Amino acid sequence: MTRIDDRIRRVDAAEKARGEAVYLCDVKMEGMLNARFVRSTIARGMIDSIEVPQLPDGYWFISARDIPEGGRNSLVMIAGDWRCFADGDVRYVGETIGVLVGPSPAVLKALEKEIRITYTEREPAITIDDAIAVKGGPILEKDDVHCSLVSEKGENVEDVLARADEIFEETIETGFQEHVHLETNAAICCIEDGKYTFYISCQCPFYVRKSVAGLLGLQPSDIRVKQTTTGGAFGGKEHFPDVLAGPLLVAESVIRKPIRLVFDREEDMLYSVKRHPSKIVFRTGLDKDGNLLGSDIDVYYNCGAYLSSSYVVLQRGVFHANGVYDFPSTRIHGYGMATNTFPSDAFRGFGAPQTLFAIETHLDHIAAKFGFDPVEYKRRYFLKQGDETVTQGHVVEKVVLEEMLDQVARKSDYWRKTKEYARGGGRGIGMSFYNHGGAFTGNGEQSIIKAHLKLVKDGDRFTILCGQTEMGQGFRTILRKIVASVLEIDMDDVVYDNPDTDCVPDSGPTAASRSTMVVGRLAEEAAMQMKERLDEEHVEIETEYRHPDGHPWDQSTFKGDAYLGYGWGCACVEVEVDRLTNEVKVVGIWSSHDIGKAIDELIVHGQVNGGIIQSLGYASMEKMENRNGHFRQTSMSDYVVPTSMDFPRQEWGLVDNPYEWGPFGAKGMGELVFNGADAAYIDALERALDVTINRIPMPVEDIEGVRHD
Amino acid sequence: MIEFTLNGRSVRFEGNPLTRLIDVIRDDLGLTGTKEGCGEGECGACSVLRNGKLVTSCIIPVGSVAGDEIVTIEGLRDTDQGRCLVDAFAEAGAVQCGFCIPGMVMAAQALLLTNSHPDEEDVRMAISGNICRCTGYDLIVDAVLLASRKGEGLW
Amino acid sequence: MVERCYVPKSLEEALSIRKETGAHPLAGGSDLMVQYKQGLGITPVFPFPVMIISSLDDLKGIETLEDGSILIRALSTPAEIASFEGMPYPVRCAASRMGAVALRNTATIGGNLGNASPKGDLPQPLILLDATVVLKSQDGEREMKVDDFILGSKKTALADDEIIYAVRIPRVEYTHVYYRKIGTRRANAISKLSLSALARVEDGVVVDFRAASGAAGPKVIRSHETEDILKGHGVDEMDSLMPAVLEGWNNAISPHAMPEYRRATTRRMLEHFLSSIAAHQEGGIIE
Repeated sequence: MTRIDDRIRRVDAAEKARGEAVYLCDVKMEGMLNARFVRSTIARGMIDSIEVPQLPDGYWFISARDIPEGGRNSLVMIAGDWRCFADGDVRYVGETIGVLVGPSPAVLKALEKEIRITYTEREPAITIDDAIAVKGGPILEKDDVHCSLVSEKGENVEDVLARADEIFEETIETGFQEHVHLETNAAICCIEDGKYTFYISCQCPFYVRKSVAGLLGLQPSDIRVKQTTTGGAFGGKEHFPDVLAGPLLVAESVIRKPIRLVFDREEDMLYSVKRHPSKIVFRTGLDKDGNLLGSDIDVYYNCGAYLSSSYVVLQRGVFHANGVYDFPSTRIHGYGMATNTFPSDAFRGFGAPQTLFAIETHLDHIAAKFGFDPVEYKRRYFLKQGDETVTQGHVVEKVVLEEMLDQVARKSDYWRKTKEYARGGGRGIGMSFYNHGGAFTGNGEQSIIKAHLKLVKDGDRFTILCGQTEMGQGFRTILRKIVASVLEIDMDDVVYDNPDTDCVPDSGPTAASRSTMVVGRLAEEAAMQMKERLDEEHVEIETEYRHPDGHPWDQSTFKGDAYLGYGWGCACVEVEVDRLTNEVKVVGIWSSHDIGKAIDELIVHGQVNGGIIQSLGYASMEKMENRNGHFRQTSMSDYVVPTSMDFPRQEWGLVDNPYEWGPFGAKGMGELVFNGADAAYIDALERALDVTINRIPMPVEDIEGVRHD
Repeated sequence: MIEFTLNGRSVRFEGNPLTRLIDVIRDDLGLTGTKEGCGEGECGACSVLRNGKLVTSCIIPVGSVAGDEIVTIEGLRDTDQGRCLVDAFAEAGAVQCGFCIPGMVMAAQALLLTNSHPDEEDVRMAISGNICRCTGYDLIVDAVLLASRKGEGLW
Repeated sequence: MVERCYVPKSLEEALSIRKETGAHPLAGGSDLMVQYKQGLGITPVFPFPVMIISSLDDLKGIETLEDGSILIRALSTPAEIASFEGMPYPVRCAASRMGAVALRNTATIGGNLGNASPKGDLPQPLILLDATVVLKSQDGEREMKVDDFILGSKKTALADDEIIYAVRIPRVEYTHVYYRKIGTRRANAISKLSLSALARVEDGVVVDFRAASGAAGPKVIRSHETEDILKGHGVDEMDSLMPAVLEGWNNAISPHAMPEYRRATTRRMLEHFLSSIAAHQEGGIIE
């Protein structure tokens, strides 16, 4: 019998370690063809001509012309502006113009080089500043602003700033980040039982069918999507698989044989979505003693050429822009800027990490200016239960930041070290605080998703049917553990396979830290109902999402409770900096999180470790540059992510704070653990070198510049 | 023609000697446990053993392994050492998305073949060419140390 | 266009193929297989004929010769070099920090020199130590300094009929030695910058001083003029001579990318080494 507190083995561990798990690249089908994208080589311009050479027998070139009448050249990824195939003009380097299909990857590669595309180029806008200046003329109808919103609380912020003794102004910037899931993006499209069918490495199978159906004038239910074992995603396989699936579907409608598309690493690096670069401008009013009066914050995200899901990313950024602090007054303007870069998209944290990094760093700088210990300064403003949020809603849950701070400070010996390490002494300790709103923003779980889950009993076997995917985070194990624990049976008697959209109900995307919190709850409820009917041979129970009472939200004004509940975090990082070379050695990492209640400590441990290392990579070594629309880092040797040698073993802890609406009290946590180690690292680095840092990443060569500022 | 030993069996390859070893293993021989993560020897997902030493099969031309003994995850997983490693990875919670893990297991095997009682630093060094984007490595390090303890006498 | 690939069975055969076809030797593959890769599932395509020489026993092995020099044959891997007893410290450091475990079992010293990448790890300490490279052809053998062999980024003095047979490191006496590589990360890293330096101090006098910078220009940099500034002078003169040495070195390097960082860091590391000589006259490895 499995209990929720048992230490268990992940259900997929052994098959993966044995090399038996079947990822997309391992799937073979009779007569399967390969595909290769033909892409734009310029960032912005008109396509004058496309010359395709005489193709050998059995090879095809598919483009916008092959979209049938009644079909729409659009991929629906919240917004529907991202085109399946560029048609007439191109808006970013790597935009799909066509797809070559045929048996041999080598021949496809050679053919790609023979296709001649001529363009009339226009000056591209690449950076946020380019977009603000509308460089090269507007990308959109009148300017380069895809989307914008404003959030306010307290007094009118201009009045507050007018009476402040001091206005602290600064700009903080963050860079691109590439997901580098070890398995690259990959999909197969074929026809099974007369139905278009995808095998695909993805987070959200229902998103795929919804996104691409319109290309052929079909309904989503006309398309079947089967998720294959997914080798990491981190948001990079939330919407982006649609960009592979669309052209494959159009090709399939013409060719009608299984077609496989597997990106190699270079393609995945150069031609996939990234984390939104950001520029965040603060004007913060302070009294003469350094007390916070209010802050006017402009948040700019580089969304790239298409809006796709970026408005939602921006909203999350804006709603997290005051961090875990109760600003007396604030006004946050968010702007999603259109540029001619590869569209930015979901990446663990979904817009929150940028503003959280900025607010932490900004407060560190204010504290340093007034001579406060940054932690002492920040804790004065910690949000508490009942406090007003930036969307004029309230913090509903108990906030345990003080307990987390206490846990981390004790383990790291923070209070001693912060006093003993002289600023500029080569050694530094830094701390950050952060949160993450669980699940969809506002009432999206109710109004947009309305998740469903089925639990089926056949004799002694229980099968969970839902659309949530395992991508490495451990959800296949978590969900089986929840159901088994409620039913007081062994996990081995619970079945939960990779979803197939023809067999499972739509439980919403595997994203937004919502799987355990929302879908896990549906499973818990289903299992509780099932428990009453264990004497029956065959039982089917379907549960449907119900929005908890007392969380008002107005989607038209963005006012109310932006999230049902938050995960909370505290991270501490200690560094030693080599004065000769600027190499930063991290000597300690400590963290504490409130995730409600951990469903499985070992899985949570893995998420904490991995999220923190990704965040430290983001702050330090992960530099992705774009010149004229081309990413300069093309491989895993020039876009480097952390190895086992880069960071030391972490100490981690949790503060239990059960969440009423989550299964066994659990809240979301997958993104939370990414949201703060970056700021703690930069805080430590600033203290070690006595410098001010206003941007990440900060590799050794950029530290050199900061040292001379 | 190129002859070599793969997982104890003799293999003959008649094609272009510049064919990447990984393509021979995966496509010609159908052993898909070896994964391609980067195609340039940077990530370690394609790690195999050549004469007992760790190499990345994506940058090795098959023409250079003539006469060599190659072992992939398929050749290791059902040995006592392989079972011990797989078990330790599962027990320690070292597996998340899993794409790097067969290569990681091969790196662990290469380490234990030369150092059956590694310390944490030895393990971190031994797997430093195997990129994992999920775990942050701590639990993988635990798994290798656990295998070395539980597999006392196996290496 | 797919060019031919040969797999010679002996050094003689390799030399003959080299002479007749100009085929490029391919040893470990860690540079060439990456440079000419075509992507997933596709065999690399080379714009020239290739011969795979990895099985040639005549090109394997490391030994110490009677005169105290070390002969490292071309197919020796970084792992073998790093574990060879008596390997000079900077060479051992460079070899043991090249890539990660698998690369150190795959790459070869011949490949690292023949490819002549500015970011290659081994040329820098070899040039510091005045190592030579032994080149063979059907017509015989010649030996030249590694510093003369590498002409620039990806350019060498290798003749069309020659292959790299070995590298010979002469015995170099030193009292102080230094090696640093700053990579893109702490392991499995490509060099952003590296510096090695050594000095021999006898009775308070600097008898020998050398330094070599990697990744700070199109090829490894040594500056004999700058080195000469110190030679023959007492350690007690270090303070007054140091500015000229640092300035000379700064003029010698020519970084394209990250120039500010590479110049400043090189200067700090060299200054650190020179100050350490003065501070620790008994010698040793300078950390």
